[in-house]
Amino acid sequence: MNISKNWLAAYIDLDGLDTGEMADMLTFAGVEVEAMHERGVTTDQVVVAQVVQKSPVEGSDHLNVCMVDAGEGSLRQIVCGAQNYQVGDKVPCALPGAVLPGGWQIKEGKMMGHASCGMLCSASELGLPDKEHGLWILPQDYKVGTPVRQFTGTDTLFELEITPNRPDLLSHWGMARELAGITGRTLKADPGENPLSTESAGERILLSAPDICPLYTATRISGVKIGPSPEWLAERLLAIGLHPINNVVDITNYCLFELGHPLHAFDASQVQGELDIRLAHRGESFTSLMDDDFELQENDLVISDSSGRALALAGVMGGKNSGVTENTSDIILESAWFLPGSVRRTSRRLGLSSDSSYRFERGAAPWNTLRAAARAVQLILECAGGKAEPTLVAGQAPALVPEGQAQQATVLQQGTAAKVYCALPQVQLDWKELDVMTNASIPHMEAARILRNLGLKETTPGCWDCPPWRLDLKRSCDLLEEVVRVYGIANIPPTRTAIYAPESSHDRLHDFRCNISRHLAGAGFWEVQTFKLIAEQSADPTIASVQYALPIKPLQQGDVIRVALPLSEDHTVLRPSLAPGLLAVAARNLNQGLDVLRFFECGRVFRNTGGGKGKDIESEVLGILMAGKLAPSSWDHLKPQSAGAQHLTAIVERLLPKSHITVLPAKIARDAAAISADILANGQTCGFMARVALSVCRALDLPMDCYYAELDLRKLQQLSTASFKVKDLPLYPASGRDATLEVPVNMQHADIMKAVESAKQKLLESCRLKEIFCDPSGGKLAEGRKAMTYSFLYRNSAATLTAADVDAAHGELLKALTAKLPDIRYR
Amino acid sequence: MMRSPSLTKVGLWYSFSASHMKEQIAQVQAAAMQTIADAASMKELEQARVAILGKKGTLTQVQQGMKDVPKEDKPAVGALLNAARVEITSAMDRRMAELQALADASAIAGIDITLPGATLPAGGLHPISLVREEAVHILRRMGFTLADGPEIEDEWHCFDALNTPADHPARNEKDTFYFDSGKLLRTQTSTVQARVMEKQSPPVRIICPGSAFRRDAIDATHLSAFNQIEGLYVDREVSVGDLKGTLEYFLKALFGDDTAVRFRPHFFPFTEPSFEIDVLLRAAGQDPRWIEIAGCGMVNPAVFENIDCKSGKNFYQGCTGFAFGIGLERLAMIRWGIRDIRLLIENDVRFLAQFQ
Repeated sequence: MNISKNWLAAYIDLDGLDTGEMADMLTFAGVEVEAMHERGVTTDQVVVAQVVQKSPVEGSDHLNVCMVDAGEGSLRQIVCGAQNYQVGDKVPCALPGAVLPGGWQIKEGKMMGHASCGMLCSASELGLPDKEHGLWILPQDYKVGTPVRQFTGTDTLFELEITPNRPDLLSHWGMARELAGITGRTLKADPGENPLSTESAGERILLSAPDICPLYTATRISGVKIGPSPEWLAERLLAIGLHPINNVVDITNYCLFELGHPLHAFDASQVQGELDIRLAHRGESFTSLMDDDFELQENDLVISDSSGRALALAGVMGGKNSGVTENTSDIILESAWFLPGSVRRTSRRLGLSSDSSYRFERGAAPWNTLRAAARAVQLILECAGGKAEPTLVAGQAPALVPEGQAQQATVLQQGTAAKVYCALPQVQLDWKELDVMTNASIPHMEAARILRNLGLKETTPGCWDCPPWRLDLKRSCDLLEEVVRVYGIANIPPTRTAIYAPESSHDRLHDFRCNISRHLAGAGFWEVQTFKLIAEQSADPTIASVQYALPIKPLQQGDVIRVALPLSEDHTVLRPSLAPGLLAVAARNLNQGLDVLRFFECGRVFRNTGGGKGKDIESEVLGILMAGKLAPSSWDHLKPQSAGAQHLTAIVERLLPKSHITVLPAKIARDAAAISADILANGQTCGFMARVALSVCRALDLPMDCYYAELDLRKLQQLSTASFKVKDLPLYPASGRDATLEVPVNMQHADIMKAVESAKQKLLESCRLKEIFCDPSGGKLAEGRKAMTYSFLYRNSAATLTAADVDAAHGELLKALTAKLPDIRYR
Repeated sequence: MMRSPSLTKVGLWYSFSASHMKEQIAQVQAAAMQTIADAASMKELEQARVAILGKKGTLTQVQQGMKDVPKEDKPAVGALLNAARVEITSAMDRRMAELQALADASAIAGIDITLPGATLPAGGLHPISLVREEAVHILRRMGFTLADGPEIEDEWHCFDALNTPADHPARNEKDTFYFDSGKLLRTQTSTVQARVMEKQSPPVRIICPGSAFRRDAIDATHLSAFNQIEGLYVDREVSVGDLKGTLEYFLKALFGDDTAVRFRPHFFPFTEPSFEIDVLLRAAGQDPRWIEIAGCGMVNPAVFENIDCKSGKNFYQGCTGFAFGIGLERLAMIRWGIRDIRLLIENDVRFLAQFQ
């Protein structure tokens, strides 16, 4: 919210208070000053000057070279781009050396070859409200050479961030009251205290939705003369960035920014019969003052009349059909209280917000309703003339004090026949609570003084009456907050306490994740963090999209969890796998010319267990992607190998050095075009691996083999952190034998390993693949066959093996393999 | 190669034989010394060793003549023979050392140690991981335990428990991602406060690094999914002083001991009083400026009441505590001068490589 210091000074004595000091006071009391703008001319180097000559700059469509008389005895040449002045006009001229608002220093210079010794200024360039576009044309009676500051005032505009719990600060009077509370400075006369004659509305105002609008007042003022606002009022509105419209509308705006309570003025000639504050009909149409059409719903509150038309959207905006115009002579002034949630709902749904809705949705004080009406009536009579009838009051102030809490009743403005009661909370405060919260660093006398300055009254010891404008004060902690923020947290000494913190399973997972990430980074993988909300389908390969979750696509429709109202098509579902994100990262980086694509991510994936009807589960997984070259080419290695499944398997094996890793073809083939496999550690599935389908790679502009593995992080953690005992070193030597198996090309290593394991040869210690040989020409090996050479290592832990023992064991093994594997031969 | 003279066993020639032996030794020795000197490689030298000292070597053959030397001459001839052997052997060793040195020198002659390094695949951690690890590291040293909770949350844990009014704007479906099930993506990691407190009795001293989601359009300063670290300490008589001391220590550990930290009163529904924390950032060539870095406050008693009421356990009556939250993206952006938050989700290697 914008606050003008000059306007503020009408309500509080600010003498001797530096603006910077004031800004700090507000900021450290919880009212953050986001920006300060100095308004007006503070330097003597901006003077009145008369334009004597004006000629266009050749080659420019808007620049003119002007000769101006700035009262210096000789003329000054200035190049100017504005269009709204004539020879003979008097305008402000900033001389070289002048510093304008915003720290802008004026220097002599050249523009398109013409010397320019100063600048002719607009009002906004001097930090003043801009009334015209272009140069600020000064009255002819101003003498050339006179500093412009003699004719203009200065002001400071504060841009404040008001937290949602403090709607009472959304006005100049409210801010003055707060500043008085913080600083102890004296408040001047309350502009809201004005006499007002009231009477009960009776049948003339119907409260058809009393839960949403429990209190409504209307004042008819007849014979007003619509015209421009007086200068002082227009100046104040301009100072906070509002453009004056006419006296009645300006006064309603003025009262809002003065007292904080929104008002609305209807053209009385457009209102027929009684007012009805009712809920809208479904589909009812409404045209706002700004000429926008809206279709209303049953929970929107409108102000209607006996004709049934909606004249205003309650608390949000007036209607076009009943607004005050130049021809208006009688008005009805509304001051009411609307339920915050209702105003917010309507304002947000229609995308229509106003200074009024902003205040109502944060909670206007019912106490202010008649104060604002009285102030507006007073100003309208003063500025627009006319005659006011007694204010009609319908309903009562809402009960805002929680049930069961102590309260005191205050009677608001009373007239001939209307009494409005307002209940205010009473809060019990035990100083012990303050001592605990602040380590007894705030004296109780000081705390009590702070509360009194803020308008609270201690009626009996420990029992505080809260002021009617502070709807946020309900409990003792609310009062403690007031004491702490005004006393200043800077004055509370810091203390440090700690307790013994047991390690949790999350601690261990975090450590594991850090270790594994460092390990992979060291092994030449980039850690990435991709978006958890991904597209269902996307044409852009760099947008992660669940369609690329192949071959791990959800088992059935509905397994993928979709947000109800996505921000865009690119972020509609929660990722069921890290693959789409990692593939998109690979595509993006390939596009940047990277040919070594090695990425990993640790993070959460989401899936419903039963097609949308089951539980939503979240699991921590590790995704690793390898594509392109294994390493960058260099002068000593011109053509590095391309990444293959075996390289990804090696990485997985390195992550789990203590486990026996097997990669088996997936039990259920998830996509015909891809190769997918399960990763088992010690026989237990802990993840999967895949060569991404070539069609998917083409769609992603990744014209290469992409290998991807996804592992369950918690399973990895269990496997890696399992305790173990050191094995004794072998006492007796091992002995090796090689065997070359000629098998059909479609026989897989896993098949052979399974056969080796099932042979259960006791002396066999290990077996490793040594060589694969294929001969597509069919010369050395028949087509459709391949030769796989394995090294078998035999050892007896209790004795040295003889050659005969080894030969016998090896022979038995080969015989067993022949029996178990179809169509194999030894070479 | 020298041919060894054939010696015959003829008695009358003994004396001749001794002098002949001496002559022979001298000859063999001279020839051997020449051969050693001529050896151009270690291989040639090794061949010479065999030719001179081997079983059929020249000196070995001369030595065989010793048996024919008259007894009285044997010591003299023997000494001569030994001297020859010692001289030849040491000459060989010297020559071997020379040749080895030459070979070693030529072995490194072609090596250019200044060549550029061969390339290994590069890798590194993501900046968010780096700041997360560092923050977690500091906080764990201060006695905080890690905790976590689901990202798909219910309204109770995300809003109700945390004292968010029923009509609060954050609950709007335009600000928060909801699912058809009525659940939502947590808008803050503070949900973990409720998750932990409903199960655990005080004292509670936890941190939770994790993701949160808000329905903000993505631009240079906003992401709709972002990372936070949440902290909570609840016990008997936890004070504002504890909050201040803890967070000052944490931020100084993170940004440097000479970092100025200030607390500004603010408003959050789940804490009261609430504060925003600024640190004074000093960048070369710029005026120091205060940067907002975290939100914190004393746990609102309503939060304790909500949780006690739900769990039915009355764990938290009479407790006080503080909570804080800090955005990791913001932390990374401040630390490394990252101007566009989207760089953190684009994962361009040219960006990531700067954090190696």
